[in-house]
Amino acid sequence: MKRRTFLRTVGAGGVAGLAGCAGGSGGGGSTSTTESATTQTQTGTTTGMAGGTPELVVATYGAFVDAPSTSPGPWIKETFESEFDATLTFATPDSEINYFIERALQGVEIDADAYVGLNVDMLIRIDDRLDDGLFADVGDVDGRGEVKDGLNFDPQGRIVPYDTSYVSLVYNETMSDDGTFTAPETFDGLLDSEYEGDLLAQNPTGSSTGKSFLLHTIKAKGPDGYLDYWQELQNNDVRVLSDWSSSYTAYSNEEAPMVVSYSTDQVYANREDQDLAKHQIRFLNDQGYAYPEGMSVFRNADNPDLAEQFLEFMLRPEVQGEIAQRNVAFPATTTAELPDDFAEYAQAPPEAVTFTYDALRDNVSEWTQAWERQFASN
Amino acid sequence: MRATLRDHASRAVDRIRAVAGLVESHALALGALATALVLVGVFYYPVATVFVDAIVVDGRPTIEPLVSVLTSRFYLVEIFGFTAYQAFLSTVASVALGLPGAWVLARFEFPGRETLRSLTILPFVMPSIMVAIGFVATFGQNGTLNAVLRALGLPTIELLFTLPAIVVAHAFYNAPLVARVTTAAWESVDASAIETARSLGASPVRAFRDVVLPQLLPAVAVGATLTFVFTFASFPIVLALGGFQLATVEVFIYSRIQNLAYAEAAALAVVETVISLSLTYLYLRYEGRQRAAGQGARPQPRRSLWPESVTSRELGTRLAIVGYAVVVLAVFVVPIASMILTSLTGPQGELSLRHYRFLVERQQTGAAYQVRPLPAIENSLVFGAGTLLVGVPMGVLMAVLTTRDFRGRALVDALSMAPLAVSGIVVGLGLLRGLVFGIEVFGTRITATGAVAIVAAHAVGAYPFVTRNVAPLLGNLDPRLIESARSLGASRVRALLDIELPLVAAGVVAGAAFAFAISIGEFDSTVVLAEGSTSYTMPVAVERYLGRRLGPATAMGCLLLGVTSLSFVVIERFGGRYGRGGF
Amino acid sequence: MRLTLEDVRKTYGETIALGGSEGDQPDPAAGGGANGISVDVDDGEFFTLVGPSGCGKTTTLRLVAGFEPPSAGAIRFDGESMRGVPPEDRDVGVVFQNYALFPHLSVRENVAYGLKFGDPPGGESDAERVASLLELVDLPDAGDRDPAELSGGQQQRIALARALAPGPDLLLLDEPMSALDAQLRERLRMQIKEIQSELGITTLYVTHDQEEALAISDRLAVMNGGAIEQIGTPRDVYRRPATRFVANFVGDNNVFEGPVVSIRDGREFEKTTTSVDNDRKSPDETEGSGRERMVDVDVGGTTVTVASDRRVDTGDRVVFCVRPEGMSVVGDGGDGPGTDRAGIESRARSGGDGSGTGFGDTPANVLDATVSKAEFLGESTRSHLRWNGQEVTVRSVDPLEGDVRIGFDPSAARVVETEQGRGP
Repeated sequence: MKRRTFLRTVGAGGVAGLAGCAGGSGGGGSTSTTESATTQTQTGTTTGMAGGTPELVVATYGAFVDAPSTSPGPWIKETFESEFDATLTFATPDSEINYFIERALQGVEIDADAYVGLNVDMLIRIDDRLDDGLFADVGDVDGRGEVKDGLNFDPQGRIVPYDTSYVSLVYNETMSDDGTFTAPETFDGLLDSEYEGDLLAQNPTGSSTGKSFLLHTIKAKGPDGYLDYWQELQNNDVRVLSDWSSSYTAYSNEEAPMVVSYSTDQVYANREDQDLAKHQIRFLNDQGYAYPEGMSVFRNADNPDLAEQFLEFMLRPEVQGEIAQRNVAFPATTTAELPDDFAEYAQAPPEAVTFTYDALRDNVSEWTQAWERQFASN
Repeated sequence: MRATLRDHASRAVDRIRAVAGLVESHALALGALATALVLVGVFYYPVATVFVDAIVVDGRPTIEPLVSVLTSRFYLVEIFGFTAYQAFLSTVASVALGLPGAWVLARFEFPGRETLRSLTILPFVMPSIMVAIGFVATFGQNGTLNAVLRALGLPTIELLFTLPAIVVAHAFYNAPLVARVTTAAWESVDASAIETARSLGASPVRAFRDVVLPQLLPAVAVGATLTFVFTFASFPIVLALGGFQLATVEVFIYSRIQNLAYAEAAALAVVETVISLSLTYLYLRYEGRQRAAGQGARPQPRRSLWPESVTSRELGTRLAIVGYAVVVLAVFVVPIASMILTSLTGPQGELSLRHYRFLVERQQTGAAYQVRPLPAIENSLVFGAGTLLVGVPMGVLMAVLTTRDFRGRALVDALSMAPLAVSGIVVGLGLLRGLVFGIEVFGTRITATGAVAIVAAHAVGAYPFVTRNVAPLLGNLDPRLIESARSLGASRVRALLDIELPLVAAGVVAGAAFAFAISIGEFDSTVVLAEGSTSYTMPVAVERYLGRRLGPATAMGCLLLGVTSLSFVVIERFGGRYGRGGF
Repeated sequence: MRLTLEDVRKTYGETIALGGSEGDQPDPAAGGGANGISVDVDDGEFFTLVGPSGCGKTTTLRLVAGFEPPSAGAIRFDGESMRGVPPEDRDVGVVFQNYALFPHLSVRENVAYGLKFGDPPGGESDAERVASLLELVDLPDAGDRDPAELSGGQQQRIALARALAPGPDLLLLDEPMSALDAQLRERLRMQIKEIQSELGITTLYVTHDQEEALAISDRLAVMNGGAIEQIGTPRDVYRRPATRFVANFVGDNNVFEGPVVSIRDGREFEKTTTSVDNDRKSPDETEGSGRERMVDVDVGGTTVTVASDRRVDTGDRVVFCVRPEGMSVVGDGGDGPGTDRAGIESRARSGGDGSGTGFGDTPANVLDATVSKAEFLGESTRSHLRWNGQEVTVRSVDPLEGDVRIGFDPSAARVVETEQGRGP
């Protein structure tokens, strides 16, 4: 009867320990009580002084603060904080602006003051999905007047451009028997059998160079002609890879002599003393597709005034110069202070082209999806 | 006074014992409840928040998104059809490449065999960009393979940006999986059964076909099923090595989610999941019918890799092994070596440690909001250990529950495999909605992010591997062993710990290795849940360090390889000792 | 400890594993209450469940061990209901046919396993307990070996030692010797019986081997088709099979049947609707002995006289059986009576104390039969004879051949089944 009457210490103890383990795996309960820390843990070392110092939360994409080569983020934070009595905190959600759209869609409060790194695609997505949008009308922040014409992609003026890139071809002169490979000068030239299998491009979804290049072909061939053009490109063995990194890897390994990239390519090449012959720039049809990046202040920002001051700070001539150099892009303003040799390696196209917000808002989804279907069907 | 005090104390002890006993006798039920809670919390609910978009649009129920996918020739033929086709080819290639590996690992003795077996799991944790870099360097026009072919005066091959490139890359990831599970099955084939067959006049080939093969098939089937499910949902590697003309379903799910076209994304993901789960279900029905002989097999002795006698058969066998080694060299070793070489190459192609110096520098001077290498390594290891602690019990529990016979067992079993079958992109979005944004309860928003949530998510992705490694072995155990233990006074849980687990230790260790690998390699959930915290892992760091120069990312990737290799060797060395004597 | 099964049933979905189907008549006398089975095992008793495979004996053992819950009815240990008590809290020791030793543990660790969960009885230390049990099963030096290194019989003894180590109140043995060879089986069963009586532990033993059941048990229950056919001592079950099934299953038997033509030395019973006349009734339980009558039965044209302790009427059909050793050879068919050539093994064993003829007399019933087959068994020969279109088995010291005349006393016959006729 002993076992029926008494519970055994040994057994009970042993399993109590295990039950503890099982409780851990059932962390659902304890998990759900974990404090929401999405944007606040970024305060990092500054949480202690948060009581006295206002905190400005700037959301951006990872490479802006954390690229392995150079990124403007650390310089901006240091400079801004040294001048303003504020703590600048970066938030870098992996899904970028979609993260905030998603929050708004789900009715969850947005814990950031400003966003840096907006493009026209993002703006269209925001306006498509959110009736009230995400961003405030920032109005006349100082320096906005100096922004180059043609870069303002928001007709409602909510977004302030801070830099721009131009998407172009980069080619490798050494990749022919006599070392004189030259990229064609026009879109039509890409269809020559001479260039069969010579071009690497990127998936328009998830790659800004890929998207810009697709839009550039639409600009060149028209909404009615671009699909035929792409059919011929595909017949000429163009390679559309997942993203810029994988296509540039293949390009660097000389899998193909041409890649869709940025016209600032030589800045990097020069910085690393690479053979510039392998980093030649070609603006097809003498055009570069402009890819301006913008910033704005979230509606309901905790510190809207500080956020506007931040925008003004970003447009200052010396800051514009730093951003351009550190982000390896062109400044958005005409007054940026740049070293003289900047233009030597950062090439601007004879003509910058782009679609307007309105044209894109009405068509970009259809254009992209039609392209996806055609390209994947072959 | 003192007497009453002792009285109280002993009553308290009795009460504690009573509670402990209650917990012990219900431990399985409690464990099942906890597992269910974790699954619902970090998988089913989050995924449901996405899948619901397939059937509810603008607050109204509809079947329109599903119908439009299912009636689209483009989706059905071009996308689902092609996705299944490449997954099938990849599965065949993985099995073809994995089986000889299992043969060599199970049947031959050579120095470093155990370490090699531990390392077979390595490809599992490789970030796709690393594999892409390695493959371009190996199979590209100017890659190592073509350089060798040219040196030998042979014609070169063009593999990149073709279907075979995807298939080989998938084999790179999955052949080790097949080899792994098959090796375990091969090692448990009873030598006396083969000897009996031989004594009855069967040739070695015939004995293999009649005795060994039937015992290997279930393992090969599980490897093949998992490979198909994985490659069916493959995404980055397809576009990186194949190109958009070879786009799979997952590419379109990603595209639609990027563009916030949730209804279409969800409909595609639902169809994708149903296909994967149906296949898993079929496999599990098959596994359920395969109940092989009991425990206590005497394994066949391993042969030396060096032939003992010079006969044509022995030489032929060795020649085949050499041939296989060459293929392994090309598919596994050279790409990995290329990654290492890339991490050691400077901008002018010179050997350089600058990328590793970058890691050191970033570690020393990196700001709080930047990704630093050491915390990434530390987090990866902590989450890996956490996944072992949570995922292994979950997987074992699920194995115990699903080896019991009950109506709909295969269905429950298949559903428990869902974490492998649902698109990682969908899970990521679901976690964002379900955990990061949280649920509003009584005016407060309950959210879950950071380490605990990441470990839970990893455990959910990892436990099916434990279950699949353990369940078949558990099913083969004589139930009377457990009944004997229980009539001797062991509770159900005690019998599990003392008797069943030690006897299926091989499966538990193999499952644990996979679980650890899943945790180390996981990206989609980690990056969502690590948001805004310092909980980033090694693969996240690799992605962050990707720039115009590949060096820093590959250096981080090699660090990932090194740390992971070491972990696997430790796990298996430690795990291998655990068979006898229980806990 | 006293083990009681009250009206226990076990069904798996539609399949009935234990207990009669709903439509069956309740049968309290044969241990079958309202369709379930009922058994009472006394403290220290060696009780056996015997029957062909699928009869429900192993199911019964599993219910007692607590491996499965009964679908209905109660299992009591010393009167305490075991409903909801898991196996680990029942204090039972179980030994299985396939030993079920833990292969990853040494012999010593196997035997000591149950001691993890409670102190050994009698104030011994764990190590002493293991040593004394290994001594008990005659394997004192096996402690450090692996179970796989032992022979089947040795493994089974270790399994027994393991089951006994915690000092259980009840020992359950499920076909423990089926996997062993015949010689070993006999040795081991004696050893088990010895150990059991030494420890005085209540034991429930399951076997399909009726010979083993008769040899080892204090009492046994013969099971068939999920129900108990008869409970009794080995002697009782052998000599007084309650049913045709028991008659056929336990030992060799010759079964005859036919209508009752007349009844002598007895009075006719009045038939009433409340008659408890029952096939399975055990006479010892319901009626006294000495109430039997001589009944003449027409077996395929030959009238034979049997003693019956059951109420039968003229015209009833009866089934009766005669053990082979209850048959004597009277002479080669046609020879005069009196030559008892075959010799009857033991007349005392074969009959009751009824009104048969005395020892040495010519049996009351004489059958002329032809030998068709003979098996030499060593101490005797078993001959299969053809008589009247049916087979009759006879045991004799010398082999038989050709035509023989055999006979049996009315008291050597045992009526095991009656079916009401139309009345006189």
